[in-house]
Amino acid sequence: MSKNQNRFDAMMTPELRDMIARAKHLEKWPLARLISLFETNTEQAKQDRHSVMSSLKGSAKNGLILGITGTPGAGKSSLIGELCLSLLAEKPELNIAVLAVDPSSQRSGGALLGDRTRTNFPINDKRLFFRSQASDLDLGGVGKKTYQVTRLLRQLFDIIIIETVGIGQSEIEVEQLSDHTCLVLQPLAGDQVQFMKAGIMEVPDTFIINKCDEDSLAKRSYHLLKTSLKLVNVSLNKHNENSKSVFLTSATKQKGIDELTHFLLQLESDSSVRKDRQTQEYFYLGKWIQQEFGRFGLTLFNQSVKTALTSQQSYEEKENTLFEMMKKMIPSLSR
Amino acid sequence: MTEQNKHTIYGKDGKPTVDRPWIFRTYAGHTNVWATNALYKDNLSKGQTGLSIAMDLATQCGYSSDHPIAKPEIGKVGVPINTLDDFHVLFEGIPLEEMNTSMTINGTAMWLLSLYVALAEERGVEVSQLRGTTQNDLIKEYLARGTYIFPPEDSMRLIVDMYEYSLHNIPSWNASNICSYHLQEAGATPVQELAFALVTSITILDAIKERDCFNEEEFERCVGRISFFVNAGMRFVEEVSKMRAFCEMWDEITQERYGVKNAKYRRFRYGVQVNSLGLTAEQPENNAWRILIETLGVTLSRKARCRALQLPAWNEALSLPRPWDQQWSLRIQQILAYETDLLEYPDILEGSVVIESKVKELKEQAYTEINQVLELGGGVEAVKSGYMKSALVSSQSKRMGRLANGEQIVVGKNKWVEGLPSPLVNDGDGGIFMVDAKAAQKTLEALEETKRTRDDARVKAALVRLEEEAKSDNNLMEASIECAKARVTTGEWSETLRNVFGEYRPPTGVDGQNMSIKEDNASLVSVRAKIDTFIKTYGYRPRIVVGKPGLDGHSNGAEMISVAAKHAGFDVIYFGIRLSSVDIVQSALEENVDVIGVSLLSGSHNEIMTQLFEELDKNGAKDAIPVILGGIIPEPDHVGLKEQGVKRIFTPKDFDPMTVMGEIMDVINEQKSK
Ligand code: B12
Ligand SMILES: Nc1nc2c(ncn2[C@@H]2O[C@H](COP(=O)(O)OP(=O)(O)OP(=O)(O)O)[C@@H](O)[C@H]2O)c(=O)[nH]1
Ligand SMILES: [Mg+2]
Repeated sequence: MSKNQNRFDAMMTPELRDMIARAKHLEKWPLARLISLFETNTEQAKQDRHSVMSSLKGSAKNGLILGITGTPGAGKSSLIGELCLSLLAEKPELNIAVLAVDPSSQRSGGALLGDRTRTNFPINDKRLFFRSQASDLDLGGVGKKTYQVTRLLRQLFDIIIIETVGIGQSEIEVEQLSDHTCLVLQPLAGDQVQFMKAGIMEVPDTFIINKCDEDSLAKRSYHLLKTSLKLVNVSLNKHNENSKSVFLTSATKQKGIDELTHFLLQLESDSSVRKDRQTQEYFYLGKWIQQEFGRFGLTLFNQSVKTALTSQQSYEEKENTLFEMMKKMIPSLSR
Repeated sequence: MTEQNKHTIYGKDGKPTVDRPWIFRTYAGHTNVWATNALYKDNLSKGQTGLSIAMDLATQCGYSSDHPIAKPEIGKVGVPINTLDDFHVLFEGIPLEEMNTSMTINGTAMWLLSLYVALAEERGVEVSQLRGTTQNDLIKEYLARGTYIFPPEDSMRLIVDMYEYSLHNIPSWNASNICSYHLQEAGATPVQELAFALVTSITILDAIKERDCFNEEEFERCVGRISFFVNAGMRFVEEVSKMRAFCEMWDEITQERYGVKNAKYRRFRYGVQVNSLGLTAEQPENNAWRILIETLGVTLSRKARCRALQLPAWNEALSLPRPWDQQWSLRIQQILAYETDLLEYPDILEGSVVIESKVKELKEQAYTEINQVLELGGGVEAVKSGYMKSALVSSQSKRMGRLANGEQIVVGKNKWVEGLPSPLVNDGDGGIFMVDAKAAQKTLEALEETKRTRDDARVKAALVRLEEEAKSDNNLMEASIECAKARVTTGEWSETLRNVFGEYRPPTGVDGQNMSIKEDNASLVSVRAKIDTFIKTYGYRPRIVVGKPGLDGHSNGAEMISVAAKHAGFDVIYFGIRLSSVDIVQSALEENVDVIGVSLLSGSHNEIMTQLFEELDKNGAKDAIPVILGGIIPEPDHVGLKEQGVKRIFTPKDFDPMTVMGEIMDVINEQKSK
């Protein structure tokens, strides 16, 4: 268990100050180094995170966090590559960050991060930033590191796209993080049925059937999906209240990209499409508490401890407050 | 009539005879068209009858010599070809109508064939008289060799266009040559070699059938034009069986799947280059014996003997061969063919129950694999899904594991490593071939001159036509030949088609791979401990970007290093070959890595590392992110590279991946403690 410092210094090293100043201008390396702070598990990094977040206050954006998830090889990265270019073509003043999360090896803890293969971004364009992340099971679990990084990115970018693989757990994770979640499917893949069994179909806000290179394929897939979704009471009908949209795309033939782009631009400019940041924060604090103090800790957190937090506090300060309180309530913890 | 015995070859006339040897081939081309033309004329005057042309990587990847990405590569591993004017010089004084010209060209195969046809027409040579081969097997480019340009479907269309054009206009041209050679070099087992090469041929023939451009007789002839380029490694008994399996399977496939009636057109015709992957940098003189043994696999069995053979040289793992090195390899062939009695006997393996049984097993396994790929949708689909590439990377990882674990013995490498120093590498030039750096200037000037003197309107019209026909279903050959005559450049031709078809990056195959290194292997345990300490100290997992800048397609090393790094416990960013230094630096910055690992085997490391450091410097990261380099990096270059800033250099001698990983951790820790 990490020992927690109670207070944060107001002082920043000149190096960090400089990094923040340059990251605000989306300079790649300084920004990348800040991101690393949000992925690093040391007291110093925690202190720095607090400093970074404090100095971004005021000037910050509240970017749209878009989760893109789906089966391996469905074309998520290719699609993201196309979408980014198309979004910028439509609205050149946008800044977009992509965070591609890949699973770590159970055996070695290492990971191969290969999603860059599929994006063909212009070089040295500050409006586009691509970062890979390992899900890193041993350093805090899937969502946490990703959540931490989105805390930073959403202050700096208009759109933050998170790519994750998977069916099941990680999908629910990404749904927590994202303001809007898209599930990418392949046409006519038998795996749709599996999704439904797992009760996952309710999770995504939008469906994308990619690899619809030919129109006939697109049509067939659309109808198949529609019938499948009916079985789980999800409706695609636009006029229905809890209905969801479907997009049929081909990343390679660049079909359906325009429609999806316009849809995303709408989400971006609609401030109601932002999850409540505090709820999100509490969700991750809760996760952290559970990890550090177990079920019992989580119960305490939800029942009472939560109320001691104030909205002025940074995430890191909240962590500290919670830690102190927990230590008092669970005496065996204080060493 | 005297009674015939079983150990003598009898001719059609019933008289005893002996076989003629296979064709001895040397693959050649370097520096520029003038130097290469002189080389060819010299070889021809010594009795060589065919040409086997090596093109430089820019030409192979569709860039003119004046493109920035081409600059480090001009004339390095082959001759640069920019326009028809270059071809006029290359073939000056060489009678096209007498030549059998083989071109190792793939992504730009249609362009090079167009140049050849245009050259013949401008010289007044009857096009139908031309003979030769364009390698033009794109599936193996995506899987192993790396000089692809367009997406698989468009590549298949160009291949079929060439088959269609050739059969009607240049009946003795082999529009493509299906290669299993490169697959073995990328790690393929004999079964994978058989299966993936035959899948490739099926994919091409299916596409030709679908085009429906031939009548039955023409289609049979077209099948007859399909030839193969095969590999043979050290396990020569298995290799000879593989060759027999190839012959039988091709006969069966062409008969059963395509109904070819004429047995002549079902014959498996193949040329060979023997295995180079297994040739060592350690005690390189041993390679001479290896090459000889590998040669047996493709010559012993008369029924499955190769038509043409080219051999690597003893210094394969050090640099390009010098003329003497090539001569020494040629002597192996001559000695085998002329001093031994090999060519006096019928098939000496016929009736061997051992061989027969082995052939049967190989065939069964290969058919299973072929059916698997066909079920996945065929060759193109199995490229796009990464199925075949993953299979190769997996085999290569296993091989690396066996070498590191000592389960596969390689003399001088992981066994009997002590020895006396070799006098061969103590030559004045260290056994290394160097290309004259100034020669590129002449190429650039010639390109400039052609561009200055050509008819711009004709160029423009030719390119517009090329673009339009590319968008249509028309056969592209005629438009392409007109481009050649108009003095369009290699870069312009490719760029036009890139704009229509798009560019393609195949899957890297490294996803989900593991190294089969024992968990208790000392160097693995040691590197994992270093990584654990690092995580405890710095609060995150070390990150490495593995980069392949430039046009070098040798991906094995980068793939193995990526897989090994993940196995050790790194977070690894690897996104394939043919990236620019700028791409790699940008990814290193965005990913905020602890080390940049560059892999280069094309001989252009000096120029490319300079570019890379310039780019790092521009971003203020030159001394902040350590850079290491691996690949074919000749000793004499090490000092200069280290002066530029390279922290460590790895070569084929560093074959134990976990030892390499340990050293990488040392580099990272040195940087951290600065
Ligand atoms: C296999 C091979 C091929 C295969 C490549 C398959 C593939 N997908 O990789 C094929 C058949 C396709 C091929 C093609 C060509 N090849 Co080749 N090929 C070789 C060969 C025989 C072995 C290389 C290899 O894969 N070794 C196994 C891997 C695992 O080892 P490695 O790459 O050396 O990596 C190890 C270390 O070097 C180090 N390392 C390497 N990179 C890195 C990176 C980091 C970060 C670290 C830490 C360590 C590290 O660690 C690795 C593990 O031990 C070499 C000669 C030789 N024996 O080395 C020639 C060689 C590299 N090829 C050569 C040539 C000329 C070509 C062609 C140009 C021929 C032609 N004209 O068509 C083409 C070009 C293809 C292209 N697009 O670039 C020349 C290069 C000459 C030069 N440098 O001056 C060589 C040296 C042969 C020769 N003597 O002529 N080739
Ligand atoms: N035919 C076709 N192929 C596509 C399309 N989009 C992607 N692909 C191909 O599908 C393969 C996988 O694409 P990726 O973009 O890497 O898919 P992904 O979902 O990000 O994959 P992972 O991150 O590995 O799970 C690649 O070979 C792509 O070229 C499409 O619209 N049509
Ligand atoms: Mg992806």
